Amino acid sequence: MSKGFTSSYRTALLAGLVFTLFGGLGARLFWLHILDRDELLHAVEESRRNIIVENARRGEILDSKGAILATSRPILVLGVDPQALRADDARKWPELSRLIGVSLADIQRVMTTKYYPLAATVGAPAAAAAPLRIISDADEETVLDEPDLRGNRPIRWAKLCDHLDETTYDAVKKLNVKGVYGTRAYQRAYPNNGLAAHVIGYVDHKERPIAGIEHYADFYLRGQNGWVESEKDGLSHEMAQFRTRRVPASDGYSVVLTIDATIQAMAEEEIVRIAEKYQPVKATIVISDPSNGFVLALANYPSFDLNEYSKLPRDEQGRMRNVAVADQYEPGSVFKIVAASAALNEGRVTPESTFDCTLEKIDYNGSVRNLPREDKSDHFDHPLSVAEIIAHSSNKGAAQLAMSVGDRRFYEYARAFGFGQRSGFPVGGEVSGTLRPPEKWDGLTITRMPMGQSIAATALQMTQAMEVIASGGVLLRPQVIREIRDPQGHVVCQFERSEVRRVISEPTARTMARLLMGVASSSGNGIEAAVPGYEVAGKTGTANKLLPVPTASGGSVLRYSDRHHVASFVGFFPASHPKVVISVIVDDADAHCIGGVAYGHSVAAPIFKRLAERLIPVPDLHIQPPLNPQLSKILALGGDHP
Amino acid sequence: MNSSGSQAFVNQVLIFTLLALCGCGSIGLGTVWMRHEISVAANQSRLLEARIADIDRHIQETDAAIAAEEDPVALAASNERWHLGLVPPVDAQIRRISVDPVKRLEMEHNQAIFGEGIPSIRFSVALRQ
Repeated sequence: MSKGFTSSYRTALLAGLVFTLFGGLGARLFWLHILDRDELLHAVEESRRNIIVENARRGEILDSKGAILATSRPILVLGVDPQALRADDARKWPELSRLIGVSLADIQRVMTTKYYPLAATVGAPAAAAAPLRIISDADEETVLDEPDLRGNRPIRWAKLCDHLDETTYDAVKKLNVKGVYGTRAYQRAYPNNGLAAHVIGYVDHKERPIAGIEHYADFYLRGQNGWVESEKDGLSHEMAQFRTRRVPASDGYSVVLTIDATIQAMAEEEIVRIAEKYQPVKATIVISDPSNGFVLALANYPSFDLNEYSKLPRDEQGRMRNVAVADQYEPGSVFKIVAASAALNEGRVTPESTFDCTLEKIDYNGSVRNLPREDKSDHFDHPLSVAEIIAHSSNKGAAQLAMSVGDRRFYEYARAFGFGQRSGFPVGGEVSGTLRPPEKWDGLTITRMPMGQSIAATALQMTQAMEVIASGGVLLRPQVIREIRDPQGHVVCQFERSEVRRVISEPTARTMARLLMGVASSSGNGIEAAVPGYEVAGKTGTANKLLPVPTASGGSVLRYSDRHHVASFVGFFPASHPKVVISVIVDDADAHCIGGVAYGHSVAAPIFKRLAERLIPVPDLHIQPPLNPQLSKILALGGDHP
Repeated sequence: MNSSGSQAFVNQVLIFTLLALCGCGSIGLGTVWMRHEISVAANQSRLLEARIADIDRHIQETDAAIAAEEDPVALAASNERWHLGLVPPVDAQIRRISVDPVKRLEMEHNQAIFGEGIPSIRFSVALRQ
C-alpha cells in the first residue's frame, strides 16, 4: 500500500464516512429495536401468529345397552371468501350448486356480494338493503374485514351451506374453486329422533344445553376445546415447525342411562296407540326396575322430535314438557295402597279384618264424618275384608283403613311413600306434588285422601310408591343415569341403588303384593291387566278431575267433574319376584270411551297387560313364569302379616 | 507459509478466519438443513394428524349413520320395505332352560350323532394257560 494514498485527510474522511454510516445504521437499529420494538413486534406477531382451535367432541348419551341416543356428528360448514374468488371459476358454480344442493341463484348472490352494505353498518335495517339472508345475521354467518379506504367492509367469509358430509366435501375440493373452503364442526344428532325425548333433552345450535340429560349432565358431556399456537406463512398455511404450544382437545364423557331403548320404544308405541285410540289430553308410561329404582322407560304424550325441536310452533312447545314429573294429578284409587299398607304395617288390621262398607257416616275422633260414595256399579252387601277392599277398590273401606291409623300416622306414611316431596329425579323440572299436613286438613280429608283425592302426585311419584311394595318395603330414589364413561370407554363413575328409607316391613310388602294380585284377578276390578301364566299385582285408578265451574257471581270454583277423569293402572309383575313396575296414566280420555267415562280398568289396565306381555321376552329382564302356581301361592302365603 | 516473522500473525489470522468462515458456514448450512428437516417432519406429522382426524371423523359419521339405522322405527320400516316378516318373539315361543345353553346344545348335538346313550363296549378276555 503506497504511503501517498493514505493521507491523513482521506483517512479521516473515510473514517468519518464509515462512522457516519455505522452511526446511521446504529441509530436506525436503535429506532427499530428499542423505540419501535413493541409496535413492530405486535405487527409481526399479528401477521404470523396462528391459533388453531381444535373443537372438542361432546360426549354421547347411551342407553343401558350402549345404543347411541345422542351423538355429535361431524359436519362441514362450507363457506366462501368473496374477496379471493377467481373470475374463471364462475363456470364451476353450477357444479358446486349441484353438489351442495343450494340453488345456483343463491350461490351467485353469495359469491358476488363482496361488501357488507354501508347502510347496515351504520345501524339501518339490513334486511331491506341486503338480498342475502346470511348478511342479516352477520355474527354467525359472515366474517367481515376492517373497512377499506372508501368505508366498505369487505366480507371475508360467508356461509354457503352447513351439514356437508366429508364425501361431498371431497368432491367440492376436487372442483378447486378458489376461496371456497369448509370449516369442520360438530352437530348434535339424535339418531332415534323422538325416543326418550323428555329424558334426553337437547342442545341448541351452538351446543348450549337446554333441557334433559343434556342439561343436567352437561358437566360430563361437554368437552374442552384445545388449541395450537404456531405461525403461518404468507398464504395463511400453518408452519408446523413453529408450533410453540399445543393444548389437545379433550372430548366429553359419555353418559350411560338406565333407559333401555327397546323397552322405551315399546312404551312409546303403546302411548301412540293410546293417543290414536283415546286422543287424551296427555298420557304417561313409566317403567322401572324395583330392585334398584332405575327408570327403564319414561314415555309421555304429547312428545316431540329432538332433531326438529326448533321447528315446533310456539303454541305446541308444551310438547316438550315432561308431564311425568312436571305435572301433578290426583292419583285416585291407586293411592289406596298407602292406606292399606299403613294399616297393615301398624298392625291395626290383617288381610282378613273386615269393614262395613255400606256405612254412610262414621264416628271418628269424637265427631261424625261422612264416608265417600262408592262407584255407581259397586254395592257391597257384606262386610269387606282388607283384601276385598283392595280388590274391589272400596272408597269407604280405604277411608276406614286410614282412620284406623289416624291423621298424623297416615300423613307420615304418605310422606314416607314419597308424596309431597321431590324424588330427586334430575330432569324434567320435577314438582313436589301436593300433600298438606294434618293441621291444614278439613273434616273430610281423612275420608277422601285415602281414595286419592285432596292429594296430588306426579306419575313418577306414583311409580315410586308402587315400587316400595315391589322392592320389599323400601323407597328407592328413581335414577336415570347408570354410569359415566371417559372417551376411551372406561367407567369413571357408577350409580348404584340408592335407598331413601324403609317405609314398610318386608312381610307387609309381601302381603300387600298378594292383596294387589287380587286386583288383577277374576274377583278384582283390574282383570284387564292380568297376564295369563304370570302373577300381576297392581291397582286401578279412576280420578275425577278438578275443573273450574263458572258461578253465578261471574267467578269460578273448582269442582270434581263427572265427565273428565284420569285413568291409571300402576302395578308390577311377576308379583312374587317383581322385575318391573309399570305405570300407565291417561288424562282425559273420556270423550272416546264407551259410556263417556275413562276408567282405569278399561283404558289403562289393557295397556299395562300389553306392555307386560311384550316385556316378558326381553332377555335382560329375566322374567320367569312361576314354576309351579301352587308353590308360588304357598310362597306368597308365607309372607302374610302375623 | 511463513510461520514466523512479521507476516506470521497476519497469515494465522487469515487462516483462522478462513477456518472460522468454513466452520460457521458449515454450522449455518447444517442448521438450515436441520431446520428444513424439522419443517418437513413437522409438516408430515401435521398431515398425519389431519389424516387421523379425518378417519376419526369418518368413523364418527358412520357411527351416527349406523345408530340412526338402528332406530326401532327405522328398523320396523326396513322390515316392512324388505318384506322380512320379522316379528318380536312371544312368550309361547320362548323355551327357558336352566343349564348352560352351550352345554345343552353340545349335548343335543352329541345325542343326534351317537343316539340316546353311548353304547358300552365289552372286551372279552381269555385266560391263557
